[in-house]
Order: sequence, then C-alpha cells, then structure tokens
Amino acid sequence: MAAPSPIPAGISKEQAFSMAQTEMEYRVELFNKLAQTCFVKCVDKRYKENELNMGENSCIDRCVSKYWQVNGMVGQLLSAGKPPPQ
Amino acid sequence: MSNDSSAEPAAGSSGSNESVTKIEPIRMPTIEEMRAQEVWNNCAVKSVASGVMGGGLGLMMGLFMGALDNPIMHDTMTGRQQFVYTAKQMGQRSWSSCKTFAVMGLVYSAAECIVEKARAKHDIINTAVAGCVTGGAMSARGGPKAACMGCVGFATFSVLIEKFFDRHT
Repeated sequence: MAAPSPIPAGISKEQAFSMAQTEMEYRVELFNKLAQTCFVKCVDKRYKENELNMGENSCIDRCVSKYWQVNGMVGQLLSAGKPPPQ
Repeated sequence: MSNDSSAEPAAGSSGSNESVTKIEPIRMPTIEEMRAQEVWNNCAVKSVASGVMGGGLGLMMGLFMGALDNPIMHDTMTGRQQFVYTAKQMGQRSWSSCKTFAVMGLVYSAAECIVEKARAKHDIINTAVAGCVTGGAMSARGGPKAACMGCVGFATFSVLIEKFFDRHT
C-alpha cells in the first residue's frame, strides 16, 4: 500500500523487523475488522443475488470512508499523546 | 487478509447418478472486472440503456398494435394503396409508442438509480418512489390531479411487478 519508509538511524535490524511485523499484524487486523463491520452493516442477510446491488455498493463506499477517517483521527489523537522520541 | 483459497474437489458419492457440482475456489475480481462493473454502476449509463430497451419494446408493441388496428376499406383504395396506408399507420403508431416507452424507461431507471444511491439501501421503497416520479412526469400535462393519479397508479404497478419478479428469483 504505502511506500516503504527508510529505517531511522539507531535501530537495529531485528527491531525494524519486529516493528514491521507489528505493523503488518495491525494492518491485517484493521482490514478484517473493516470488512466485517461494513459487511454486517450494509449487506442484507437474505442473499437474493450474488452481486452487490447499487444500494449496497454506495453503503459500502460510505462505510469504508467513514471507518478509514475515524481510524486516522483516532490514530492521530493517540500518537499525539505519546512523548516525543529521544 | 482473510482469503479462502482452498479448492475442494468434488467428492463423488458412490452410486449417485447425478453430476455433483464442483466447488471452486473464491476468485477476487480483477481490476478490469471491477472497472467493467463500475460502468454499470453509473446512473447515466443505466438510464440510457433502459431508455433504449424501452424504445425497442415500444417499437415492437407499436408495430403489433398498428398492424392489428387497420380499417380495411376495399371500396376507396386499391390493394397497393391500402398496403402503403397501413404501413404508414403502423410506422406512426410504433414511433410514438417507441418514444413514450423510451421516456418511461429512462425516467424510471434514472429515478430508481438516484434514489437507491442516495438512500444506500435496496428496498421496495426505491421502486415505489421511482414509479411515482415516472407516473407523475408522464401525466404532468393533465394538471396536478392527473399527475397525482399517474403517480399513485404507476407506483402501484411497479411495486406489483417488482414483487412478482421477486417471488420467482
């Protein structure tokens, strides 16, 4: 998704690897939660046809957009509370 | 990412005569498939296609009705003149019917598409509102009362047709 950022100086290779692993787990969890939430919210449970109709499509668009925005906001708020790196 | 990519081969039960449906792995749509689906998601494309189909249907219906409805006047015209006259009647009839049905299809499809996109839900209310808009627009020439009647009538009609098709799918 995003371009890989350069490793900041002073961090060993193992640390960078574990950071990358944590980041990957976070991303996977985020995707799974997002898909689950928007599916439960938007798609009618009585499956009448196999393709998404237009109402479901626009519902999913809005759901993903809102989820992503809230995720970004919460992440920013959380990271603003952390002390600056030494 | 949750990705079910396990392929289960068809387990043929012993002694069964019918063909067992093979279970295939889930394929994610490619970017070209998604772009092709996006074309039909567009309200303008959908309504124009509906209008064209409505026009075709109106043409067929108009030809049929025009052919049925010709006065046979043996005394005043010869056979060839009668044929020409009948053909002209059929053409006029089918052209006007084609226009009516094309407009009807276009307005209905556009209204349903816009309402469904705005509400983000797939309901029977979308068809009712779209039917009302279509009926009202088509009978707007007769004044507000005719528009109301047209709205209610066409909305009922589209809801019934939708329910009829829904039962069989």
